[in-house]
Amino acid sequence: MPLMSMKGVTKDYKLGKTLVRALRGLDMEIDKGEVVAIMGPSGSGKSTLMHILGALDVPTNGIAMIDGSDLKDLKESQLVTFRGQKVGFVFQTFNLVQTLSALQNVELPMIFQGIGKSERHRKAKDLLERVGLADRIRHRPNELSGGERQRVAVARALANDPEIILADEPTGNLDTESGQSILDLLKQLSTRDGKTVILVTHDPEAAEIADRIVRLRDGCIDTRKPKSSPIEDGDSHA
Amino acid sequence: MRKFLDFFGLALRSIIHRRLRSWLTVIGVLIGITAVVTLISIGLGFDKTIKEQVSGVFGVDTFVVMDESMFGPGAHNGGGAEEYALDLDLLKSIEGVKVAAAIRERTGFVQGQPDAEGNVLQGFLPVSGLSTELMTEFKSFTGELAVMPGGRLFEPGDVDVAVLDYDISQRLGVQVGDTILVAGDGDKELNLTIIGIMAPPEEEASDDSGGFGMRFSGGSDGDTISVPYETMDLLWGPADDVIVTLVRIKEGYDVDEVADRAEKALNDRGSEISAITYTDISDAIGQMTSIISAFLAGIAGISLLVGGVGVMNTMFTSVLERTKEIGVMKAVGAKNSHVWTIFLIESGLMGLVGGIVGTILGLGLSGLASVFIGRAFNIEIITVVSFGLIGATLLGSFALGAFAGLWPAWRASRLPVVDALRYE
Repeated sequence: MPLMSMKGVTKDYKLGKTLVRALRGLDMEIDKGEVVAIMGPSGSGKSTLMHILGALDVPTNGIAMIDGSDLKDLKESQLVTFRGQKVGFVFQTFNLVQTLSALQNVELPMIFQGIGKSERHRKAKDLLERVGLADRIRHRPNELSGGERQRVAVARALANDPEIILADEPTGNLDTESGQSILDLLKQLSTRDGKTVILVTHDPEAAEIADRIVRLRDGCIDTRKPKSSPIEDGDSHA
Repeated sequence: MRKFLDFFGLALRSIIHRRLRSWLTVIGVLIGITAVVTLISIGLGFDKTIKEQVSGVFGVDTFVVMDESMFGPGAHNGGGAEEYALDLDLLKSIEGVKVAAAIRERTGFVQGQPDAEGNVLQGFLPVSGLSTELMTEFKSFTGELAVMPGGRLFEPGDVDVAVLDYDISQRLGVQVGDTILVAGDGDKELNLTIIGIMAPPEEEASDDSGGFGMRFSGGSDGDTISVPYETMDLLWGPADDVIVTLVRIKEGYDVDEVADRAEKALNDRGSEISAITYTDISDAIGQMTSIISAFLAGIAGISLLVGGVGVMNTMFTSVLERTKEIGVMKAVGAKNSHVWTIFLIESGLMGLVGGIVGTILGLGLSGLASVFIGRAFNIEIITVVSFGLIGATLLGSFALGAFAGLWPAWRASRLPVVDALRYE
């Protein structure tokens, strides 16, 4: 059974007075441990899809099953628990809390799960060490470089040991070198830890770490072959 | 609880991070708290000062009997004391009463000694009948009465004697040992031997000896003829002209109970009196000062309201500013209630800090004010540090902050996570 499966998923939302149909009947499956890149032009529905995969949002229609639960059946509080425990997010703009140190930022998801201070501390330190920031744990986000901030964000995404890592343009604000090291880190999460990594990106180089690329176009899976794909498109299960 | 402490830490960090704005907000609260604490503390100080003065004179074992129109609801203001009928022997016989002393007042025909030319000064003058016990048992009410050298005050068993105010003794041309004639009702009259003349003010014993506005004899400018209480009976019959009665109770009795008993017994006999204890006076004073305090604190409370609006404004700004942060917190597993709690703690903390600083300032200011007011009116005002007030203020200021933060916190917690994350 796939870890995530979407069947006929649509998502409409209102932007002012206009109805935006962000997803228009999307079918896809993602297996456990896969690295999947979701690509597509702006407005193709990438972010909306990511929000649904991360249980931040629910579909307007269709079935979105994640780890055996249909998102539509979950109450708001269950969605919160779900994303707190099963999903870790990495954002393009890092989205660290400026008032907290690197260590405290990594501890934040654990606070909401009610994990005790000493355990939190130990885990956060381990994670920061793992992303190569052992000597930066007391620094505030504004005292860190972009690459370092994104490493903190990756460590934070791993805080509650989730099965799924969702990265939205994780290299979008980074120079090539920093970007590459973040991509290596994400890849490692799949190969070493068996995590499912979903990468939303514009960047074909970033997509290279993926086992499979899912292309979106106007809210649907784009089944056309790209002119020159660095890797072969996987089966989109469509 | 563990989560609460963590949320507390998050809220505190956010406050510290926005140091300047937080302080400005706190100042808004602390001005209000300072004003309220200052005014209430001064009010409490006044209240205590006055009550202590009253209890210093009254003691907890004494009550006063006055005409019922003189005290309590509907008491008339101004004018002299109302006279009332009193059966002093009945009062003395009531269970729990140790000593009772009364003052009667009449206007009587008085005739002095003939002078060298044989002229006799005579006229209608105020005559006071004083229980001997007034001078021995109730000095705290009467003050230290002083007669001029060679004279004395009343003693038990005295009947045909009088003590004159200094002025009238001069005008009547009499001195200790002389006799004066006082005529009462009908053909009752007595020749009274003068046993003392009140000292004029400059020779009076220290005026600070107490005397709770109950000086019944005027000193130099008085023209009262004072006689023993019992002598009044001989001149005017049973007392229907008492202006005040002081009663001391026996040890082990409750003053309010004895006073109630006395009031009932006397009124059953046709008197129309009130027995007023220290508690009654304290209550009356307390009522007055608390009305004034509440009024002033109410005015000061307006500034608290302004402080509260300041907290609300700051919190709304903060929610707006941190929309993205709220989105992130929710994305990493924060429940609505978590977000709500963090923001409430934050606003409550600003209120509390305002409360702490405001209370300290308020207590300091009220202490200073007591000193200055005390100096201006030459009284020592007690500075009251009420732990009840401090506790209530701290709790109230936290509640004010939290209350002002309710709406902004609710708004923050209801932000849809996707919109919040997109917010730029």
